[in-house]
Amino acid sequence: MYGQLRNRVPKYLFLLPAVLFVLTFMIYPIIYNIIVSFQNLTLMNLQVGAEFIGLDNYSKILQNDKFAISLRNTLIYTFSCIFFQVVIGYLLAVFLNQDFPFRNFFRSIMLLAWMTPLVITGSLFTWLFDVDYGVFNFILTSLNIIQEPINWLGQKNTALLAVIITNIWIGIPFNMILILAAMQSLPKDVYEAATVDGARRIQTFWHITLPLLKPQLLVILVLGIIYTFKVFDLILIMTGGGPVNATTVLPFYGYELAFVNFNFGESGVVATVILVILLAIASLYLYMIKKEEAQ
Amino acid sequence: MNNKYTPKQYFLLVCAIIITAAFLFPIYWMITTSVKPIEDVFSSPPMIIPETIRFDAYIDNLIKDQSLLPYIRNSFIIAAGTAIFTLVLALPCAYALARFRLAWANGFLLILLVTQMIPGIMMAMPLYIMFSKFDLVNSYLALIVGNTTTALPFAIVIMRPFFLSIPSGLEEAAVIDGCNIFTSFIRIILPLTKPIILTVCTFSFLFAWGDLIFALTLATDEKVRPLTMGIQKFIGQYGTQWDNLMAVSTIAAAPIIIIFLVFQKHIVSGITAGSEK
Repeated sequence: MYGQLRNRVPKYLFLLPAVLFVLTFMIYPIIYNIIVSFQNLTLMNLQVGAEFIGLDNYSKILQNDKFAISLRNTLIYTFSCIFFQVVIGYLLAVFLNQDFPFRNFFRSIMLLAWMTPLVITGSLFTWLFDVDYGVFNFILTSLNIIQEPINWLGQKNTALLAVIITNIWIGIPFNMILILAAMQSLPKDVYEAATVDGARRIQTFWHITLPLLKPQLLVILVLGIIYTFKVFDLILIMTGGGPVNATTVLPFYGYELAFVNFNFGESGVVATVILVILLAIASLYLYMIKKEEAQ
Repeated sequence: MNNKYTPKQYFLLVCAIIITAAFLFPIYWMITTSVKPIEDVFSSPPMIIPETIRFDAYIDNLIKDQSLLPYIRNSFIIAAGTAIFTLVLALPCAYALARFRLAWANGFLLILLVTQMIPGIMMAMPLYIMFSKFDLVNSYLALIVGNTTTALPFAIVIMRPFFLSIPSGLEEAAVIDGCNIFTSFIRIILPLTKPIILTVCTFSFLFAWGDLIFALTLATDEKVRPLTMGIQKFIGQYGTQWDNLMAVSTIAAAPIIIIFLVFQKHIVSGITAGSEK
């Protein structure tokens, strides 16, 4: 037989390339963000090396109004997107869970919205939201919902809403597919029993479907929050963070600090804050998975 | 078989057509805007069904002015490079995680799940600083590495369950026939993995094709910039020339739509597999 070492080492060789890649290009950058957040690193001293300046970057960024606005916008954006994506995704999943001709085709064709690169979706929706010739204003005025065309992306109180609507559209089919997959794993006999007992549709939803789907729905929710939190491309294309910071979100703020101001230290602060928030959500996610497995 | 459907099911089909058409209207609008003459683009009320179809915007942007072509080439190089690189790293790793009892295997999976959650833009600054020290900013390599950070965790996470589903007796038989773990992996396992390889390649390609973050930050030179940055430039240059902008967008979306239509099944199974732990 093989010796212990001879047996083990070749097996680890399978992992080696991926582990090296993850350590160098993924773990190291994450740690680097944290280190840099305590340094005065800018484009000027990039080659010579920066000095540690303690918590200076933190006190400067965390007290900045723009940081508070970005954090608020990120939260509004994430939660309103997820709420509507999951609700509409759920309704669509219920509809597409019925048996009718070509249903598999309809299930997957909607994913086109999710697959399209965000740059394209962003410029496409900028066109749809156009003040003078945009389709949305046309529909809303002809239905008499609004009297005057709205400058969706050009004014402070509607810009974030317009980006949110765009992202809801992108995320609906993704949520629909995941919820549909979860629904198909539900036992059928419970429903038959409920129908025999004369339960109404709403009753079956609240008392059977929702409790049964709860573990998977929670996972979908957390994953959705994490992916929505990343928002960057849509903001850059549709509004550039404006007007007057109305659509600045944390990842976009971090980008501006690093690649517009070239103040890497301050950008590191934003990255670290994002990391802390995501780690909190991730531990919640892992806790829920553990709980689900224990059941 | 086909005439077994009830009238109610045909009614559902009609509903499905209406819902899907309404939902995908933006994509229809992108394509029709690109083939309308400019005066129809700005007609009020909007012209839902184009009266005249003209391919002027395509002729202008692909044949008369060929400045878009290098961007398309770069996108292909970066997306294909990312797909291959991701596959080379992910295949043996996912196999080992599924097959061998290794210390730290669960820890590594956990790290992958967590890194998957970090926004790409947060990776961009450290990578930019790292690459600028090695003079790699503005290279295809930098962009491929950047995109692989997005694609790799997803690839490993969806491949591992696939390897778990292959009966392990296969390799044992191969070992008896004189294979070691490397030759049995290459001769026995790899030929079985075609479907999952396709899924992983499709996703990595599409991720990289649509990437803006690394294109924006790791490539400042137009020579290596992909199509997503090309569109960015057109937005600045064309402003509100929506027919041109929508034509360029349709060109950029075309590979996505084609790949999607061809590999639909793989994409749907990949999404569902990726959300399981």
